Amino acid sequence: MRLLVLLWSLGPLLWQLRTSLLRPEALVAPLREGNPWTLANYQLVLCGDPPFWQYLTNSTLVGLATTLLTLLLAVPCAYGLQKLRGPMRWGVGLALAAAAMFPTVLLFLALLEIARSFGLANNLLALSLPYAALSLPLAVLLLRAAFADLPGELEDAARLEGLGLGQRLRFVLLPLLGPALASTAILVFLASWNEYAIALTWISRSDLLTLPIAIARIGGGSVFTIPYGAFAAATVLGSLPLLLLVLVAQRSIVSGLTRGAVKG
Amino acid sequence: MSAPTVSLLLMLPALLLLASVFLYPLLRYGWLSLQASSVLTGLVPVPNGGANWGRLLDDARFWTDAGQTLRFALCSVSLELLGGLALALLLHRPLRGRGPLRALTLLPWALPTTVMALGWRWILNDPHGPINAAIRSLGGSSYGFLSTPATTWFFVVLADVWKTMPFVALLLLAGLQTIPVDLEEALRLEGASRLQILRRLTLPLLVPYLTLALLFRLAQALGVFDLIQVLTGGGPAGSTESLALYAYLNAMRFLDFGYASTVMLATFLLLLVSLGGGWLLLRRHGQGHATERAA
Repeated sequence: MRLLVLLWSLGPLLWQLRTSLLRPEALVAPLREGNPWTLANYQLVLCGDPPFWQYLTNSTLVGLATTLLTLLLAVPCAYGLQKLRGPMRWGVGLALAAAAMFPTVLLFLALLEIARSFGLANNLLALSLPYAALSLPLAVLLLRAAFADLPGELEDAARLEGLGLGQRLRFVLLPLLGPALASTAILVFLASWNEYAIALTWISRSDLLTLPIAIARIGGGSVFTIPYGAFAAATVLGSLPLLLLVLVAQRSIVSGLTRGAVKG
Repeated sequence: MSAPTVSLLLMLPALLLLASVFLYPLLRYGWLSLQASSVLTGLVPVPNGGANWGRLLDDARFWTDAGQTLRFALCSVSLELLGGLALALLLHRPLRGRGPLRALTLLPWALPTTVMALGWRWILNDPHGPINAAIRSLGGSSYGFLSTPATTWFFVVLADVWKTMPFVALLLLAGLQTIPVDLEEALRLEGASRLQILRRLTLPLLVPYLTLALLFRLAQALGVFDLIQVLTGGGPAGSTESLALYAYLNAMRFLDFGYASTVMLATFLLLLVSLGGGWLLLRRHGQGHATERAA
């Protein structure tokens, strides 16, 4: 059973790995002689113009900026929402849940207009504005659940000690939210790393492309001319950071989504 | 300052950003859908008295795409729920190496859609992909997985299920973890089989999680874009084109912003109707369960 599941999940990825290590002739038919294995595909991708690591850097930059901005906005919002009572609380919660489900692609045209009129196109940091908005609903819902889990007496005690709102958040509440902040940050980073429709329309300069767009551009030609070996090498290189992240943060991701599902 | 005012002030920056990214586009589409704004008007919006909506009603391509999008969403979401449930039940059992197993099954979900869409394009390639190579070595002949209009949509569903099933499994796993172990134990002592436990205890308690997964996935699947754009480009012969891809083409290829806005708004309305329908269906079903248990 376990083996079957692993085969289903990893089979396509392992096939990419195999493809990336084969010479182009060996992809089409088994070679009669000579060594079919090569690292040339990786060389091609890494020495391209712009080199492949440029896309990794771009995606990482956007991901980090997005994560930071999202948390900066989401923490106060989640705290405020948790303190709010009455129909407003219900209404905002519902609106956030609806926004969390909204398919991003339907927003791209209006966002592109905004980008053009404010000169935000071809700017990686500006990209983190819509990205933060896309991740905010989930982040706020997750963090509100985490705030709700903290004992209320804790904040009351801190208030009696004379700590202001900012101090209470910074010194009392946030240190206790570590795990929730970490899992939220990872989910936000993943979402930003993988976003397609907005990056596709906002970024046109080839040295500023994020990873998903750069990889899709490789396949931009016809089905028959895609350099599958080089492309597979790009896939493998692009997947490695995520593989590491998922392996290291598996517990965090699972607990984050779990909390969101239970409370949301 | 009173407490509610402080709350609202704390929420204000986030809510403003959310309103400009989610609310503004919908209002803007509403306005643009009543304008002619294309190459013909020099991309300057000119009111055209609802002509876009009239065109939409007569646009065979739109309705074909709507049907195709609905078929894609229903098939992939139901397969994801079934497969995700099975996967969640497996990952819930106390297996050796459960942590790494969870991480590795989650990997397809964590990768960019476009990356694996191109991966699938190679795997399904005709004639050089591994599946066709296997078919040939068994004596068959190559099959145009991505070039046969009647069946290509199913392989798009397959690629989507591969990527998203782990996410559904994870949500359901969260639900499974809330079920008290002693309840299951009690049923087992009464002599209930595993299937009976699943039907009488596990599934009814999972209904909220199944609902959440269904609504979330349905909304995402009805807006499917990047998978299709990269895997098939909407082809062959438009047989896999989704509404979101059609809207995208109207805006970026045909440069008709007025009509693109109309298509996007119509897609959104269709989505609302489908989600409402799905929710009502589930609620009635859930109530059926509740009365069954009460009786």
